[in-house]
Amino acid sequence: MNFPVIEALHIEKSYLMGYSILPVLNGVEIRVERGEFVAIMGPSGSGKSTLLHILGCLDRPDTGSYHIEGHNVLSATDSELSKIRATQIGFVFQSFNLLSALNVFENVRLPFSYSRIEKGEARDRVENAIAKVGLTHRIKHRPAELSGGELQRAAIARALVIEPKIILADEPTGNLDSKTGIEIMNLFQKLHHEGATIIMISHNHQIANHAQRVIELMDGRIINK
Amino acid sequence: MIAEIVEAIKIASRSLMQHKLRSGLSVLGVVCGVMAVLAMIAVGEGTKEKTLKQIGELGIRNIFVKAVSLSDEQVQIARELLSEGLRFYDRERILSVVPDVEDIACLKEVRAAVISAVNIEFSPQIIACSANYASIQRLHISEGRFLNNQDIEGNQLVCAIGGDVAHKLGINGQIGKFLRIENELFKIVGILDRFYRDQEAITTMAIRNVNEMVLIPLGAENLLTKREEVQNIQSLTELIVLIKSAEKVFRAGEVIKRTLDLSHNGVKDYQIIIPLELLRQAQRTQRIFNLVLGAIATISLLVGGIGIMNIMLASVSERTKEIGIRRALGATRMDIILQFLAEAFMMTLMGGCIGIITGIANAFIISKVAGWKTSVTFPAIFLPLVMSVCVGLFFGLYPAVKAAKMDPIKALRTE
Repeated sequence: MNFPVIEALHIEKSYLMGYSILPVLNGVEIRVERGEFVAIMGPSGSGKSTLLHILGCLDRPDTGSYHIEGHNVLSATDSELSKIRATQIGFVFQSFNLLSALNVFENVRLPFSYSRIEKGEARDRVENAIAKVGLTHRIKHRPAELSGGELQRAAIARALVIEPKIILADEPTGNLDSKTGIEIMNLFQKLHHEGATIIMISHNHQIANHAQRVIELMDGRIINK
Repeated sequence: MIAEIVEAIKIASRSLMQHKLRSGLSVLGVVCGVMAVLAMIAVGEGTKEKTLKQIGELGIRNIFVKAVSLSDEQVQIARELLSEGLRFYDRERILSVVPDVEDIACLKEVRAAVISAVNIEFSPQIIACSANYASIQRLHISEGRFLNNQDIEGNQLVCAIGGDVAHKLGINGQIGKFLRIENELFKIVGILDRFYRDQEAITTMAIRNVNEMVLIPLGAENLLTKREEVQNIQSLTELIVLIKSAEKVFRAGEVIKRTLDLSHNGVKDYQIIIPLELLRQAQRTQRIFNLVLGAIATISLLVGGIGIMNIMLASVSERTKEIGIRRALGATRMDIILQFLAEAFMMTLMGGCIGIITGIANAFIISKVAGWKTSVTFPAIFLPLVMSVCVGLFFGLYPAVKAAKMDPIKALRTE
């Protein structure tokens, strides 16, 4: 059977704001095949972050269905969702979200705290991931000693290290200058060519155009297909 | 699970090392609590040991019957009631009436002075006693022999002297030398083992200081007493009744009391001291002491625990972002709980260990400065340590659960 990596159907999600209900997602449908590089575009408030959180198993939709490679995610318990995040999903954030007390190696190794893996293998995989993003010379440095681009590379290495089914990137260039942003995009391109499945959200057309396919989101609906 | 716990301990120790001062200050409460508990248990155990030893020296199978000196008025009443105080006759009565008596020793304090060749301030207590005194009070002879029945029956002028007396007499305090008491010469036949008795026991428990005694055969004291006191020939200072077994001591004590009440016509010119009863009292006091100690320990550890909870709550809210990141990277709620519990656990364990070290030092200082006997036993170390760790886990649980319950998305958004 050849399931799409991600298949989310009729996703609806609303938040309670004070006494009123704020609908965020109104029946979003999204299907991503293995090896695709997809950008989700939209202005702020369009629901793209919420969608990404749902796809990343950090949040649950009110209604709809969501399958990763044919497995129903929404029937999973909280700790099963944690397990999915630990083994199948790599997050890249706008603000990098590295732990300042840990050096690059330790930050990249962090996901292995939550999935069982043999120590030597973990080290090899961490070193490989760091090499892949070109940070081997910074391996013992703390985040405070790195530039913005290096921070994001370290974060990408952390996402790669578990060999995830999908990489979810939330405005990965939002905190970077345009030159560094392009470098990061080139890195994503490279990963894409090596076969990684990437979903990236952005409100920047130039950045989004690096992707293979762009999905536009407006007021919780997909407006192009 | 074990792998998760190991991982949690690694993360926790890292975070503690990052905030050395803060971690140190926040375990101070636990340190003080453990220290106080340990020092108190040590003092308590020390006191207990000492009391037990003192009482043990009196002998738990013994019952002491002591003559009480009466006021003039009481003497008048005693005369009217025809009581003559503690007398040799009481021994015979106890022997014939009271069950389970194994032996009875008789003691009589003699008011006479030792005239020593070397002119030193020297006034050992002179006691006339029966031959079984040594065996009942478990006195050890270092040289020679103790007084025996032949000495008593033959009115021999011999004596056994305490270790300190022998020491002070020097060469005149050896076996075969003569000791002059008033106008009589007593041949030294035995020297008692010199052994340590702390001054406190001698005063509080009225233990006789054998080291400073000169023991002469019962009856020989009549040669020393002045003529006007001869009427007291039959009187005694003390009877030591040895009971066959410890269980029968209380009942025997009761019978002795009734017997003497009857023969003394109700005059309280004697008192009965039962070491076993003193022991029971000491144990009751100890139990109360333990209870008070437990309460203080609980309070101090509670205070320490609240300190831990306080710092853990601060740590959780300070590290909200970190919790969000860890959750996004796949940490389960349990992983987060373990991480913070491990932190609280390690803090209290560390505090406990420091507390134990300072507590032992404290107990040592107390015993040096205040002169109290302290005893650091296994429970004195183990109990506060276990308690502090339990406190850590208990007070760490709420902050840990709070951290685990956080919404990972909200946690990620905080700055």
